[in-house]
Amino acid sequence: MATEYKLRMGDGKRIFMTKEQIIADLKEGMADAADLGEIPDLSEDEIDKLVEIVTMPSRMVGVEQGKEVPVTHDIGTIRIDGDQGNSGVGIPSSRLVGAMMHERAFGADTMELGHIDYSYKPVKPVIAQEMQTMEVCQANMVVPLLYGAMPNMGLYYTPDGPFPNPGDLMKAFKIQEAQESMQHAAEHLTRDTVWIMQRLMASGADGVNFDTIGAAGDGDMYASLHAIEALRKQYPDIYIEAGMAGELLLGLHGEMEYDGTVLAGLWPHQQAPLAAKAGANVFGPVVNTNTSKSSAWNLGRAVTFIKAAVKASPIPCHVNMGMGVGSIPMFETPTIDAVSRASKAMVEIAGVDGI
Amino acid sequence: MFKELSDAVVTCKKDVVTAAVEKAKGEGIPAPEIIEKGLAAGMNEVGVLFERGKLFLPHVMMAAGAMEEGVALLEADMPKDAVSKKLGVIVNGTVEGDVHDIGKSIVSTMLQSAGFEVHDIGRDVPLQDFVDKINETNANMVGMSALMTTTLPGQKEVIEMLKEQGLRDKVKVMVGGAPATQAWAEKIGADCYAENASEAVVKAKELLL
Repeated sequence: MATEYKLRMGDGKRIFMTKEQIIADLKEGMADAADLGEIPDLSEDEIDKLVEIVTMPSRMVGVEQGKEVPVTHDIGTIRIDGDQGNSGVGIPSSRLVGAMMHERAFGADTMELGHIDYSYKPVKPVIAQEMQTMEVCQANMVVPLLYGAMPNMGLYYTPDGPFPNPGDLMKAFKIQEAQESMQHAAEHLTRDTVWIMQRLMASGADGVNFDTIGAAGDGDMYASLHAIEALRKQYPDIYIEAGMAGELLLGLHGEMEYDGTVLAGLWPHQQAPLAAKAGANVFGPVVNTNTSKSSAWNLGRAVTFIKAAVKASPIPCHVNMGMGVGSIPMFETPTIDAVSRASKAMVEIAGVDGI
Repeated sequence: MFKELSDAVVTCKKDVVTAAVEKAKGEGIPAPEIIEKGLAAGMNEVGVLFERGKLFLPHVMMAAGAMEEGVALLEADMPKDAVSKKLGVIVNGTVEGDVHDIGKSIVSTMLQSAGFEVHDIGRDVPLQDFVDKINETNANMVGMSALMTTTLPGQKEVIEMLKEQGLRDKVKVMVGGAPATQAWAEKIGADCYAENASEAVVKAKELLL
């Protein structure tokens, strides 16, 4: 009987696979990414290395010495205090305490301050509180402290915002009206993000994290890139991290362009150069985990996509690794066997600069 | 000819689709075959291209509009009971406590484009509203989205409510959203789980046709 190895499904379920099955799944996942992104396959050596990582007997694995990379945390300031509603652990603490715990106990190389709503728009009415908290955190911390939130352009549409909901307009075949609504929302999102960051920079912020760019489609990316461009122009030394929401930039508008490139339908390796062009320091590519496939399939796919993004990116790539992305299972508390294997593969094969 | 009809839908242009339909009629192809093997096949291809990032949401709607024009030209030649017949009636929404809207809206749009009668009841929908809308529209499928682990149980509760009110056997249940999985669908007794909008259309057709 062939030796079987412990793996996971994309939903976290424990499965057992033979080496031959693992290789087949790795190659199938790789082929899916190569087909969708029109990017190169991994080499046979890289597939061998992936097999080695997946089949390591240790429950938890790590990168080879000398290959360590920076680790950046989003929303970490409220992960301690937050409850399960936002992936927190429910330990009463201030955001300052949360940030300092990440800096001094958890080894975070950079940190971000985030608001409980974690979108830029809801920060506007509480900007004074955010400014004061940023100032207090900066006075107590050493690692670079960014301000982070989601662009979340959906908040600008009814019933949350002033503009007609493009989803409703599209269903009524009002395509031009839907596109106009997205254009207006994007302009407001850019304006709000810049306004918020002007105040947080005045309070000592080291930079900004655009977390989950594109969650509301190509308009969300359009607005974010223009905000990055404006912030880079006003603050030449600001540290800007541009992290994506998903692997494919959904074309809800379909015709929006940045620097002559249509944004809809871009894959990670096509997104990275635009983030760099706008003025970001770091790009955060994302590959979604398929819950119906094995971790081998997801890993082969994710590493193929991210390797191409790293190669195409003029700026460092800090890959998004967490629940449901980067081949990590869709599970509230992802298992360390899957997380550590995926992280090792991203560093040693895809060549990411950080996580 | 079927390939020509299908390709016409993929162009998303009404005049191209209507010209292809007129040509097919001229060749004596029965109307139901023009629709099923030509136009509907084209819409399936549009769905695939959307998922691959080659076509975008406005194109999906334009293709659906063009297909409707083509179908309208064939109504006189269709069997009486087939005229204006929808593939099924689907109530779709995001469960209570969850404000995520965009993914659910894309699913609604794709289902509508594929020929289903879709009642999108929005996001953060009180669970009883799903049941009420099913009764009101005589729906034969309900789609429930949840983007957070904390709101996922709402899908299970609606299924329980359907059972309590004697509707479960009449209504197929589809679940989706980032934290939903096939295992979750099986655990709560849903009929299917869809990974994305295109898969939602495929699964809906499998269950309702």
